[in-house]
Amino acid sequence: MSIFEYNGSALVAMVGKNCFAIASDRRLGVQLQTIATDFQRIFKIHDKLFLGLSGLGSDAQTLHQRLVFRHKLYQLREERDMKPETFASLVSAMLYEKRFGPYFCQPVIAGLGEDDKPFICTMDSIGAKELAKDFVVAGTASESLYGACESMFKPDMDHEELFETISQALISSVDRDCLSGWGGHVYIVTPTEVTERILKGRMD
Amino acid sequence: MSRRYDSRTTIFSPEGRLYQVEYAMEAIGNAGSAIGILSKDGVVLVGEKKVTSKLLQTSTSTEKMYKIDDHIACAVAGIMSDANILINTARVQAQRYTFSYQEPMPVEQLVQSLCDTKQGYTQFGGLRPFGVSFLFAGWDKNYGFQLYMSDPSGNYGGWKAAAIGANNQAAQSMLKQDYKDDITREEAVQLALKVLSKTMDSTSLTSDKLELAEVFLSSSGKVKYQVCTPDALSKMLVKYGVTQPPAEA
Repeated sequence: MSIFEYNGSALVAMVGKNCFAIASDRRLGVQLQTIATDFQRIFKIHDKLFLGLSGLGSDAQTLHQRLVFRHKLYQLREERDMKPETFASLVSAMLYEKRFGPYFCQPVIAGLGEDDKPFICTMDSIGAKELAKDFVVAGTASESLYGACESMFKPDMDHEELFETISQALISSVDRDCLSGWGGHVYIVTPTEVTERILKGRMD
Repeated sequence: MSRRYDSRTTIFSPEGRLYQVEYAMEAIGNAGSAIGILSKDGVVLVGEKKVTSKLLQTSTSTEKMYKIDDHIACAVAGIMSDANILINTARVQAQRYTFSYQEPMPVEQLVQSLCDTKQGYTQFGGLRPFGVSFLFAGWDKNYGFQLYMSDPSGNYGGWKAAAIGANNQAAQSMLKQDYKDDITREEAVQLALKVLSKTMDSTSLTSDKLELAEVFLSSSGKVKYQVCTPDALSKMLVKYGVTQPPAEA
């Protein structure tokens, strides 16, 4: 069994009209056993930048802590928040530093950049960036998520429709994956507010 | 005669003094002053800006006040380039602590850690000490609001009110007279502005010669570090009778 499938995870981020959504499942397991049903995989870096980390839970937490360290120092020195594109480059560089002993994580980065333009990207565990204009997925349920997003996604959805779409895509995909599930955690981010919602799906 | 013992930081003079450290403190005595006052609901830091020229490009960043972490700020007096190095060191130390322990670094521990760095430059390496004094203001859950003063020797102390930089002794004695233990943050601002206006060399006090910052708890209970805007500062200077209001055209 692969180390990436040890804890189980599902992450998806989608772009809407002047907004974005990022969602994850809530299960933390140790192979077949479920040990937590409220595991946090999406972290806020600042009001307009969110980071989701799929893969090994321990590496996800450590990587997040290291990124908070770097971002806090950046904020103090530059006296402003990091742009999402810059943050993505930082994450990519940090992952490649460990090229021959990597973090077993696949990050999903979503934020509002210059002029509040939505930005999403994902990368593999050694930092190969993949920018997308519509949606990005990660985790054990990624194959189902690709299928669900491809069929449900439409460009320029407003935040209400985006919420419905991303929730449906997430729930239907994790239901087909035994290692992820136990509900969902969705963040909808517009230039003016951040809405956080918990989804109830099949609790298994 | 004791000039033989000046040139190296790492030796004592026959009288038991470290001349380089004392000379560093002299350098600070010529720099712009800063005052810190601890109140029940916050810490107030006020600094005198020495460099005021019309040609200076004003930006939002401050000359005397710096944020170290979300819950700690400092005011500096002395050689600015030395201060920048130490502030960067303090910021990294605070983040390293948070990374290891997943909680904000207690204020005294940060001050101690930075002072340990400063002390190293008075004992080994053959490098000169940093020519900076700091006033640290912060809040932590163990001891609430705190104010610390540190100097080039690496000594530090916790204070209720302290002054560094030019005329600091005059400012300190004025603070000793007027400080009371249950002072509020507003009264502390007033006291700080009053003391600074009396000890500053310049004839008139305007908001472009000063910087004011406060560390307090916001209504949601989080620690906030706020630098006063020049407009608000001008209004306060007039309100407390420290400056003349601008002449009506």
